[in-house]
Amino acid sequence: MNMSRSFSLLAGATLALTATVFSGLAPAQDTIRIGAPLSISGRFVAYGASAKRGVEMAVDVYGGKVGSKKIEVLFRDTQSDPQVTVNSFTQLLVEEKVNYLIGPIATPIAMAGLPAWRRTKALWIVPGASTPLLEEQAGKEPMLFHTFPYAYHYYVSLARTLRERLGPGKTLAILYSDDSYGREHLPYARKYFAQEGFKIVAEELVRAGATDLNPVLSKIRRVRADVLLGLVQTTDGIQLTKQVYVQRLNVPYLVGTAYPQLPQWQESTGEAQEGWMGVTTYLPAVKSKADPKYPKLFPDSEAWVADFKKRYNRAPDFIDVGAYVSTCMLLIAIENAGGVDNKETVAAELKKLDVKTMIGRGKFVPSIGGTLNQAFSDVIVHQRVKGTDAILFPTEFATTDKIEKATYAK
Amino acid sequence: MIASLARKAFRYEGFGYDVMSLLLQILVDALLLGGVYTLMAVGLSLAFGVTRIINFAHGEVLMFGAYAAFFAFAGLKLDPLLSLPFVAVLGAAGGYLLFKSSIERILDDAGINQVLLTFGIGLVLQNVAVILWTGDERSAIPSYAFDSWFLSDDVVVAKGRLIAFGIAAAFMLALLAWLRWSELGRATRAVSQNRAAASLMGINVHAIYALSFALSSAFGAATGAIMSFLLPITPFMGFPILVKAFAIIILGGLDSIIGTVLGAFFLAITETAIAYLVPDGIGWAEGVAFFLLVLMLIVRPTGILGSAERDA
Repeated sequence: MNMSRSFSLLAGATLALTATVFSGLAPAQDTIRIGAPLSISGRFVAYGASAKRGVEMAVDVYGGKVGSKKIEVLFRDTQSDPQVTVNSFTQLLVEEKVNYLIGPIATPIAMAGLPAWRRTKALWIVPGASTPLLEEQAGKEPMLFHTFPYAYHYYVSLARTLRERLGPGKTLAILYSDDSYGREHLPYARKYFAQEGFKIVAEELVRAGATDLNPVLSKIRRVRADVLLGLVQTTDGIQLTKQVYVQRLNVPYLVGTAYPQLPQWQESTGEAQEGWMGVTTYLPAVKSKADPKYPKLFPDSEAWVADFKKRYNRAPDFIDVGAYVSTCMLLIAIENAGGVDNKETVAAELKKLDVKTMIGRGKFVPSIGGTLNQAFSDVIVHQRVKGTDAILFPTEFATTDKIEKATYAK
Repeated sequence: MIASLARKAFRYEGFGYDVMSLLLQILVDALLLGGVYTLMAVGLSLAFGVTRIINFAHGEVLMFGAYAAFFAFAGLKLDPLLSLPFVAVLGAAGGYLLFKSSIERILDDAGINQVLLTFGIGLVLQNVAVILWTGDERSAIPSYAFDSWFLSDDVVVAKGRLIAFGIAAAFMLALLAWLRWSELGRATRAVSQNRAAASLMGINVHAIYALSFALSSAFGAATGAIMSFLLPITPFMGFPILVKAFAIIILGGLDSIIGTVLGAFFLAITETAIAYLVPDGIGWAEGVAFFLLVLMLIVRPTGILGSAERDA
């Protein structure tokens, strides 16, 4: 009786196991699976939500298939938490055994996933992580494909634009946050602004999330700098912009990093946004033409924006478009590799790609800081003027040759 | 001494400073920040003083108040100062419902259950806000949020913060008057001082608890309406505010409204002075303030006025 029961149990378990194994294998053979560890909740949710939209739209526009194989994106929520990120990466790479990863966006989250990624070294596309920590620790890895400018790209373009438009010999005050963003960006800001002849007359630290920035602004007021550079993230950028305006800070030229392009910054700062400059990879004001080879994936920018708005009832931001373009490039490379689930073959195809996208030329080349596979290094320098974006750099897209002073400084 | 500290903190060459202007600016900033901190902490203090439960969801109540004022501003063009009474009423209703539906059930439970429950409610509210409104930053932008007065070339008074200070003062006076002169206020004080004796005197203790929670939430939501034009609004704004409010009520004395005000201004003055007078002081300000908090817990665990209030 007991033996018979044990046999039945064993047979049942074997059948169940066999069914599980085959049910797991069956879709894998006709499915290309892409892991997407993104911050769909927590403090980086704005980044994760945008990236998810971009990835989903790319898969949809691509038709949901590469050749005859269905594309399946496995989204995992990192919850903007380093520990959860490790779990997400491990689950995707070790349990799901995906060969392709896209995301996350924020540097701390990408860095948290790095040790787990090293276990399998899947082909990893990172359409974010502007702080060069990732470059320092994994830039030489052949399976890492970084599709967003690094921080130093910001300051190369910003410093050059400001020197060309304002002339030499200007003074600069830098305000930086005490989180990884401010501290990591600071050396690059120093280096490239000094290279362009700016004299740094003040460097002030602010606590991320500080309620009151008046103490540091009072110090900056006394050095009478020509330019203020705020190396902070969006939430602090809003606070900084409002308090600079309230203080009528005696600095005529105001420069942020990525935040002046963001609708939430613009809507939260009202009249105080006037005159602020920033950098971005994408602005709706920059019109690009369709890629001749892939016009369906990379149409002219206006058509793409219209399609995006139709789907999501909102304007795309730079992460929407960055994640979209990065995913499309991965899918093209998989297709060019014959639809194989093989990271080396797909990586080789990805390196050969040269496409014209809404955020510039998509071609992987070594970066100046040492990343082997870097695409989209060019940044746009823009300024908020009368509620819209005036483009200062690159010169081929420039809509003005004059930098405006902050409104209260005129 | 101030001059020497200022010289070190304002370490850049080639500019002059006027110590009197600097001191005046420190004083102005500290007072205005104290007003903001008072608003953050008073609701938490009231709820704890009466029910002895620390509401870890108080920051999220404030966050919902901020969103309500923001949407009234963005959608109905209603100034946050005008929407404030409506937001406060909504906050009171929400607080009452929260108390009756959950907190009332764990009044006599172990403290850890109360912490877990209110902390959990806070997390739920935070995630509801993310789902409803995403993590995007928002801020109401009435004209006074961008205005300021210059007392001299170097001394600036931000109008938005001055308004917050005025409202904090009005709230405190109204609350103290209510506690002192109204029947319900006296009943609330009685429950706060001795629950059993108050019950024997015929006071409906649970009704007073519910009222205190509703009032506390009303203060929280109204504070959110003020914060809607002072700080960026996000679903995550509540927790840092809660931490600061918690520090303030410990500094002032957990069961004392006046102590809360003193704690708020003590923290604001310390933070502002350090931010101005220590190089990179704004990074140190919070750490030093919390060091003082630890010191207070060691030297005088009841806070500035905690025991004095109980004696009274």
